[in-house]
Amino acid sequence: MASEKIRKVVEMSGISFGVRVGKQGNRKSWSLSRLGTRFWSWFWFILGALYFLLPLYATANFSLRMERDVIGFKAYIRAFEDPEFLKTFLYSNVLALLTIVASIILIVPTAYWIRLRLPEARRIVEFITLLPFVVPAIILVFGLIRIYSSPIKIPFTDTTLFQPLTTFEVGTDILIVAGYMVLGLPYMYRSVDTGMRTVDVRTLTEAAQSLGASWFTIIVRVILPNIRAALLSGALLTFAIVVGEVTLASFLGVPAFGPYLFLLGQHRAYEPAALSFASFLLTWVAMGLIQLFTGGQGQAAGAH
Amino acid sequence: MSYLSISNVTKQFGDAVVVDNFNLDIEKGEFVSFLGPSGCGKTTTLRMVAGFEIPTSGRILLDGADITDKAPNQRNVGMIFQSYALFPNMTVAQNIGFGLRVRKEPEAMIKQRVDEMVGLINLEKHANKYPYQLSGGQQQRVSLARALANRPQVLLLDEPLSALDAKIRVSLRAEIRAIQKSLGITAIFVTHDQEEALSISDRIVVMNVGEMEQVGTPFEIYNFPKTRFVANFVGSLNTADAEVVDPAKGLVSMDGVQLEAAEGTDGRKKGDKVKIAIRPERLSFASEQKKANVVDCIIENITFLGAVVRIQVKIGNTKFNMDTFNNPFLELPKIGAKEQVTCSKEAVLVLDD
Ligand SMILES: Nc1ncnc2c1ncn2[C@@H]1O[C@H](COP(=O)(O)OP(=O)(O)OP(=O)(O)O)[C@@H](O)[C@H]1O
Ligand SMILES: [Mg+2]
Repeated sequence: MASEKIRKVVEMSGISFGVRVGKQGNRKSWSLSRLGTRFWSWFWFILGALYFLLPLYATANFSLRMERDVIGFKAYIRAFEDPEFLKTFLYSNVLALLTIVASIILIVPTAYWIRLRLPEARRIVEFITLLPFVVPAIILVFGLIRIYSSPIKIPFTDTTLFQPLTTFEVGTDILIVAGYMVLGLPYMYRSVDTGMRTVDVRTLTEAAQSLGASWFTIIVRVILPNIRAALLSGALLTFAIVVGEVTLASFLGVPAFGPYLFLLGQHRAYEPAALSFASFLLTWVAMGLIQLFTGGQGQAAGAH
Repeated sequence: MSYLSISNVTKQFGDAVVVDNFNLDIEKGEFVSFLGPSGCGKTTTLRMVAGFEIPTSGRILLDGADITDKAPNQRNVGMIFQSYALFPNMTVAQNIGFGLRVRKEPEAMIKQRVDEMVGLINLEKHANKYPYQLSGGQQQRVSLARALANRPQVLLLDEPLSALDAKIRVSLRAEIRAIQKSLGITAIFVTHDQEEALSISDRIVVMNVGEMEQVGTPFEIYNFPKTRFVANFVGSLNTADAEVVDPAKGLVSMDGVQLEAAEGTDGRKKGDKVKIAIRPERLSFASEQKKANVVDCIIENITFLGAVVRIQVKIGNTKFNMDTFNNPFLELPKIGAKEQVTCSKEAVLVLDD
């Protein structure tokens, strides 16, 4: 999945690469212009790779040089020793988990129903899922605070249903998970929708129905297992967003990892670099694991 | 009282009438095919029996119970799709056992039934494979076993063989028919392949743009088509314009060439414009003793088709195909030669213009 995405990004940016296993009859096509294209392809690819890799290398290198003239892990040890680190990191992980579960519960049936019964609603929903790219998080968080800092009433009555969500901890947690669901929407919805495209959801549903299955059984036993890879990749992206998110967390005043890292960055030099690099590695390990666990599955679903 | 009864069923999508007043009674254990060109409403009719579409009007009764508005998972109906629709995340055995698990049957019973079904389709060796590890023909057999494991009251097959190559198609259709007969299960088979329908069915329903054209045994449909559409759609056919000469004697004239028909001229008047139709295999070279319907012709073309040799002859101004069995010891006529061909009175079909 990940490699697929990378390939897509690379294709979209107009770069193509790959070894040509030309037959001998193809010799003539190795003209100058072709060599030229190949050169430029590689040029852009390497430039792009450097663009990503250089800062990473700089961060890693910097994080290892806390002690003068020695390469060591002191910055890492310092960072991990701070009790705040563990607290905020765990808290953000829990938020990420909740966000992922809530997103799946909301998005899987929605995407499923749209594929099955409301294909004409597709474009509208896709547009909605793109909104988080257009509307900055800062606007989202101000909107949330503005609406939910007053008590929630039953419409047209004076009966109060909830105290303002921003005034108590669980309330704020609900708000921030809801906000994160919005931020993760583009990634989750798109992954799920793509996953459903690779299996013929409609026919599988009908087959299951004619065998006596209920909607719940169909979603749990037929649809979910067949979009497992897509769910995992959506979940991973959501996870990455939530754990590093600063804006929502700091304005809602929750003890999350993002604001902690941000604060740390203002007072210290080496520890934030160490933590950034560590979280980057964590992400890549997770991606690798997904690739490992779902590689076969993805092929199974695609093959005929 | 028939087992499955589809009465006065009409289906509209918006303004489009896709199935128009469909009436059919199917007996228990019968194998009925819906045959018709693309878009004539075969799938839609089948889906109404399965419960995926609800008729705009009309009723569907199964074994005495009205199932018209029942949800698909409340009917006991098995469905086979052109695209197999096996669950990719389950093995062959799990696919077959799915319906029974959904109904919470005891594990021991499920295991026994799955074994039985796997045996029925001869895939014992593949029970633990995933669908993508099987060929198309094997996958469709698994899909058949999966549908049958539930002991459905009716088996519905929507062009189950269309995605397979010709050899498998023929052997699998024989297998489906044999299994259907041995289990005595009632089946509806949708196809647009006339040879398939003719070879496998107890009865055929020929459909044309939402309407039933003719219902009958393969023998009746092929030999006594009631409408021009059926005659044209089922089997190959020579057709020509003609005029009634003598309705009482069944005489018609085609560009001055007179032919005698066994039936079809009753109720018509002299001078009525009609179409006549003759199947290629009913024409033959005239021998001495034949007297009726002997006409002169010119050999236009000869095509060797293997078991059959197709000879194109020109009778009057009309070209006819004539099929004869390939016989290596008979000499074929030369192109351009003058010959005489004949056919029986019964072979001349008189159809509405
Ligand atoms: N859900 C739908 N909404 C609108 N029109 C539909 C729908 N389903 C089918 N139709 C229309 O109904 C007509 C009959 O379709 P149907 O699928 O029953 O044909 P068919 O005989 O099975 O054809 P084929 O041999 O191509 O499968 C077609 O013109 C089709 O466009
Ligand atoms: Mg169809």
